[in-house]
Amino acid sequence: MSDTIQIERLHYRAGKNFEIKELDLHVPSGSIYGFLGPNGSGKTTTIRLVLGLLRPLSGRITVLGLPMPEQHARVLGRVGYVPEQPHLDSTLTVRELIDFQAAFYPTWDRVRAEELVQRFELDGGSLFGRLSKGQKAKLMILLALAQRGDLLVLDEPTDGLDPVVRRDILSALLTYVSERGATIFISSHLVHELERVCDWVAVMDNGRLITEAPMEKLKQGTKRLVVFGAPAEIVNPPFRVLTRESANGGGGENWVVGNWEPAMTSYFEGVGASVRDVIDLDLEDGFVELLRSFRKGGTGR
Amino acid sequence: MFHGIDPRSPIPLYVQIAERVRLAIATGALGSAAPLPSVRQLAAELRINPATVIQAYRDLEAQGFVEIRHGAGTFVRELAPGRRARERSQHAVALVRKMLAEARRSGVSLAELQRALDTELGAKTT
Repeated sequence: MSDTIQIERLHYRAGKNFEIKELDLHVPSGSIYGFLGPNGSGKTTTIRLVLGLLRPLSGRITVLGLPMPEQHARVLGRVGYVPEQPHLDSTLTVRELIDFQAAFYPTWDRVRAEELVQRFELDGGSLFGRLSKGQKAKLMILLALAQRGDLLVLDEPTDGLDPVVRRDILSALLTYVSERGATIFISSHLVHELERVCDWVAVMDNGRLITEAPMEKLKQGTKRLVVFGAPAEIVNPPFRVLTRESANGGGGENWVVGNWEPAMTSYFEGVGASVRDVIDLDLEDGFVELLRSFRKGGTGR
Repeated sequence: MFHGIDPRSPIPLYVQIAERVRLAIATGALGSAAPLPSVRQLAAELRINPATVIQAYRDLEAQGFVEIRHGAGTFVRELAPGRRARERSQHAVALVRKMLAEARRSGVSLAELQRALDTELGAKTT
């Protein structure tokens, strides 16, 4: 399967304090791709680079098979984008904003737009500036979906919204994916929400990519181990050691490992240690441990 | 049928969904020729990736439980006699294994577990 977004060795700098270094990303076509990272890690900057709104210092960005930012006009016609902050004119009504947006896209889907107005219970006559935060978010999603793009880029689309609105938005997105087979690139720090829907995940911190993997692989491969009798230095383990610390009492150690497979317990037997327990981690635990390990100066991947 | 699907569990969502469907077939909640929810409908309802639902349905098809008729939907197949009962006993084994693993982890002994089981089942132990 080809990649809808492909980034290679991307380098970008904003001022003295922030840069994106050596970034490689591959967003498979048809995937729902979760882009995770703490605030300030470079998610929004990366999205702006993908959309051609910023120009990289070096590296290559390809979106829907076309180079960015060179081909941004052709690409953006096929990309629905929901920015973190609403960028719409607050003096226009919902209806006017829909008509205004429709004029830019020959692919505009009037039927879907109308259906979503009903489903989201939006009032066509309300001024954008008077809408609640949830209604604004719904309208932004409506505009992106009715455009009928092949790629949706959503920057924290449900951040700060109540659970009811989040569900409505997520359901509308998933219905769209079922029907169109579009690719969705979604940045968020609401880990549990991504855990439900994404089939790929990337984690950023401090302008660098920490990991990029299929969701199941990341989840299956990240475990907490309770280990007894492990030597201080271990050589070439087949898994990745994220953290290692002594357990509270009992003399054992807690390890958090990546790329784990059940058969690897034999590695510990080989060095005279034993694994007493293998504990599953959910995506949030895994995410936090990855960040901790990365910040301690781990090697990243 | 899909109540309590847990995205945080290490068991992949498509496996969980397929398990629920298999169980519903085994208990007769889903009879022969009964339709499964459409991919679109179930994805929106559970708020999960449609690809996850598709994978669950494909696995069920490969295991011979359902038939995917393109354009029409997914339907429960006629099962060989005894297959439902076999599925139920497999499910029972899975439940017991889960209980045993949990007991081991929390330090409950087998004797204690047996006593609790007898009491719960109302059996006389003299």
